[in-house]
Amino acid sequence: MSSDWASQKERGTPFALRLILWIAQHLGRGFARLFLHPITLYFLLMAKPQRRASRQYLQRILGRQITLFDIARHIHCFASTILDRVFLLADRSSEFDIKRYKPEEVYRLVDQGQGCLLLGAHLGSFEVLRAPAINERRMPLKILMYPNHNEQISKIFMGLNPEVAQSILPLGEMDTMLRVADAVAEGKAVAMLGDRAIGSEKSVDCCFLGKSAQFPAGPMLLASVLKVPVILFVGLYMGGNRYELYFEKLADKVVIGRKQRDADLQKWVQHYADRLEYYARKAPDNWFNFYDFWNRGG
Amino acid sequence: MSDLSVKELEVARLIVDSLNLEDVTAEEIEPDAPLFRDGLGLDSIDALELSLGIKQKYGIQLRAEDENVNQIFTSLSTLTKHIQKNS
Repeated sequence: MSSDWASQKERGTPFALRLILWIAQHLGRGFARLFLHPITLYFLLMAKPQRRASRQYLQRILGRQITLFDIARHIHCFASTILDRVFLLADRSSEFDIKRYKPEEVYRLVDQGQGCLLLGAHLGSFEVLRAPAINERRMPLKILMYPNHNEQISKIFMGLNPEVAQSILPLGEMDTMLRVADAVAEGKAVAMLGDRAIGSEKSVDCCFLGKSAQFPAGPMLLASVLKVPVILFVGLYMGGNRYELYFEKLADKVVIGRKQRDADLQKWVQHYADRLEYYARKAPDNWFNFYDFWNRGG
Repeated sequence: MSDLSVKELEVARLIVDSLNLEDVTAEEIEPDAPLFRDGLGLDSIDALELSLGIKQKYGIQLRAEDENVNQIFTSLSTLTKHIQKNS
């Protein structure tokens, strides 16, 4: 049974997606949000593996019996952030109350012309980062991601903001990391997500919410090769129109010794996992890995 | 044991050394076998580390804009040729 996220098909037809996009753009966020309830119900009934994953995760983080209502709230949070991507990408961040915590961690580096890695996760919204970065031009940003993942959805979203599309560095090419090195040398911040170990990627065993899980080794390895600071970023959705965007420095420099390579690597990735757990506990419904995170199939 | 030229052996040693490879020796690298994925199984971060090693040893800078960077990194033999041509 394959539970790899990348191999999961997107649910919902392109038509439904276009419809909700049209509604969002023409009738506004408030009206579009009314549709989140039937959408949540649909996923709650139809998406069995995701439902199971949600229950397992919520049980682990909340430490109690999970009701269908808990799962519904979890799905509703996910659907909310997807809908909000429309407005954030279309540069309508004025619709939102986005509180920023320690953005100066990044601004300071940018002003010094020092490149860095921004390490995020499938926790909350990635899109709130794009507001200061692209719309306000406060942060020269490149985004490292797999191409064609969620193809239908990315095509539509990228159409909303061509500048965002241009900022993407496709993962999976042999010269991908050379491109990252170039971007960092130009003083850019390169953002990536560090929580999903995909396919044959090198991964590290870490403790997350009290149980061991595989995290990709790539981001920390990359940071050690490039000798640049690593800053964690998380954009938590707090309900209503409120987001909280956190920046936290994980390392000025990731040092991985040749002799104790594995131990050093584990220590750094575990540090990331620990901080991720801290932010997940702030807003548990923001965890958007709807698969068995602790037992990856394949 | 494969047949490597002196220069190829030198570059093979650089690969093994800069990537800290443990299960393969320089002499064992086939000159025409792919370095990435199926062949030696290197990944994109390895490519970056290797390019830094090449810069340090030969003063040759490999940048992603070089269109033939994929071609240069095809095999030990193509990489060696590129280094010989540019150093």
